[in-house]
Amino acid sequence: MCQGYKRSLKLQESGIFALLLMVLEWAQPGLPSPLRPICDLRALDLFIKEAQKAEDAMRSCKDACTLTEPLTVPQPSVDYNVWKRRDMEQQAQEVQSGLWMLNQAINSLKTSINNTVLLSHIDNSLGNIISIGQVLRSLSFQEYTPSATASGSTETWRVSSASALFQVHFNFLRGKVRLLLSHAPVCQQGVS
Amino acid sequence: MPVCGVKVAWWLSVHVGFLHLFYGEGSQGFQSKVKLLLESDPANPKCFLELDKKLTCFWEEMGENGTANQYNFHYTYQVSSPIGSQDSGTCNVSSLSVGGRRNISFSQMSRVIFYVPLDVYVSQNGRVIHQRSLYMDQVFLLDPPKNLTVQRTANPAQLRVSWVSPDFIDDGLMYEISYAITGSLMGKVEKVPTKTRVLLQGLQPGASYTVRARAKPVGLSFSGTWSPWTPPVFIETSPIDMDPLILSLGLTISLIFLLLSLTVFLSHRRFLLKKVWPIIPTPENKFPGLFSVYGGDFQEWMGNSSEGLRWIPAHCCTEERPSPLEVLSEVSVPPPASSHTENIKNPSPEAERGTREEGNTNRSSRHPADGDSATWWRSPSHEEWLMAQLRELQHHPRLFSPPSLLESQDAYVSLDQSSQQPEEETEAAALDDIMEETVPMQTLFAGMGAESSDLGSIQQSSGSGQLSSQSSFEYPNHTWPPKGPGYTYMAVADSGISMDYSPMSSSRIADLRIIPGPTYTNLYKNNVPTHKQRPFVGQPINSR
Repeated sequence: MCQGYKRSLKLQESGIFALLLMVLEWAQPGLPSPLRPICDLRALDLFIKEAQKAEDAMRSCKDACTLTEPLTVPQPSVDYNVWKRRDMEQQAQEVQSGLWMLNQAINSLKTSINNTVLLSHIDNSLGNIISIGQVLRSLSFQEYTPSATASGSTETWRVSSASALFQVHFNFLRGKVRLLLSHAPVCQQGVS
Repeated sequence: MPVCGVKVAWWLSVHVGFLHLFYGEGSQGFQSKVKLLLESDPANPKCFLELDKKLTCFWEEMGENGTANQYNFHYTYQVSSPIGSQDSGTCNVSSLSVGGRRNISFSQMSRVIFYVPLDVYVSQNGRVIHQRSLYMDQVFLLDPPKNLTVQRTANPAQLRVSWVSPDFIDDGLMYEISYAITGSLMGKVEKVPTKTRVLLQGLQPGASYTVRARAKPVGLSFSGTWSPWTPPVFIETSPIDMDPLILSLGLTISLIFLLLSLTVFLSHRRFLLKKVWPIIPTPENKFPGLFSVYGGDFQEWMGNSSEGLRWIPAHCCTEERPSPLEVLSEVSVPPPASSHTENIKNPSPEAERGTREEGNTNRSSRHPADGDSATWWRSPSHEEWLMAQLRELQHHPRLFSPPSLLESQDAYVSLDQSSQQPEEETEAAALDDIMEETVPMQTLFAGMGAESSDLGSIQQSSGSGQLSSQSSFEYPNHTWPPKGPGYTYMAVADSGISMDYSPMSSSRIADLRIIPGPTYTNLYKNNVPTHKQRPFVGQPINSR
């Protein structure tokens, strides 16, 4: 009788252990914890101001900053009514693909520009783009990885100079990106 | 979607002059905005984006009124890739009168694209007169805030202001509340970010205030210029309501303080008055009648007033009028065998004064029965000695030495204390030292008539009193008339303080009894001789 009791106890222990494992597997605690939503737009405003400074700096560079081949950049223009009619996912998608395009384009400038001041602006802009990506992720937007074919679906522009590129970069940040972040549903919950 | 024109398309065919009607309710707001920008915006053309996303660009018409100015309005988006057919185009131009003689022409674009530079051109007769590059998201001109309400609070110096934000696509609006006392040019402005209410503080209670509000979008996404002011709201702040408790407390405290200060003042009023109104000393009480009667004329006052005599201070004339006094002889106490010559003259009758007397001197001139036995002045012996001196004078009139002139001013009497009786030496010796100064000098004066004064000299046997009161006497004449019955003798007892004169007649010299006559006591001043010991020389003094 005691032996039977011991055996049932063991079964119970192993059962509990298995159950625990299953629960843990399902909860996936190994994944990184979700970021706290960054609803404060002051960081983005700082990036936007820095992008404006970069655009002003690039305006002085005309000849040296002319690109050999045009770059694909997101379209910064926003028709507000049209924009409003789009749902949040589409907006997020458009923002993320645009950021990716800008990242590519600014990165390609590194090879052709030698000025240290301009290079610092370039590096700063690249870092800011990455930070904005983090903010987007914190706001629980679906991550969207643009593919090569996706560049045709969204409206894009082609620029031929660094100053035009940074102008698009500046306007894109203060336009679409900011509109998206300021109307993020995660941040709207506590706001009256 | 048309880029230009207004949404209400059926107004397009309206004549230019009636264009201002079709805006309807918004015409007032439109006109106010146009006026606002006409004053504040230096750019040309002046563009603003309204709430329903109409971009209006206007410019002031130049030239004479009435002529049809042909303007063309052209726009271009700066795009790196063509957006479409709407990247550039032209829009109609309309005209509007904004009051006075000012007219504007304007053009409107209903399709609004943000975050893309827009270039606008205004051309007249084929020539571009105005050009501008702008962002549509940066030229917002909102309507003024709505429902501006001002309320009083419990604090009379505060007002609570609240309003409703104008319609806008974004939340980030900055508000400005302007408040000023009605009629005053100086006002304050309170900037209120985002919130739609504010508490105005530091106001004047019981005053009428004018409050206005306006709004502006601020931010990186959207920005613009200040909206027109709301219609002013007039409100009066509540007057200061004095708490009755505080009032009564304050009154009580002030009353108590007043009473206290009054008490202090009354108790120290003399001191305070002296401090505030110091008494200026005047000499009026010392000069009675000088100011009141004679008006300050001192000479008159001295001449006319009998009181002036009294004003003579006591120390001025302590000395009486010098009275000529002849001392005929000074009787020195040593035995009559010395070479004393005594001249006795008539003393001055003026020497009379009631003064204090030494008991001793009185005793010496009075009846022996009056004296007591306290001193060495044995009256009988004293009188005997006096008589003896007199007798000697009579017998030896020539024994006086030629006179020597002395100063008449000096009056000195030397006290001789060795004129004691031998039998009284033991007794007197003990008292000598003590009574040295008080030993009166006995001087015999003999009055001989008024017509002559003789010179005489009296030698003083010894005069070593420390206090020597000296009188100088003059003896103008040399001769000494013999004694006769006309002589009146006066015994002078000088106590150092007073001199007692007792007249004696010659006929009674033999008579040892001396009639106690009137005693004349003089006070005189003791002048201590300075350096030389002058022999006492008695000189007759004119007794006149």
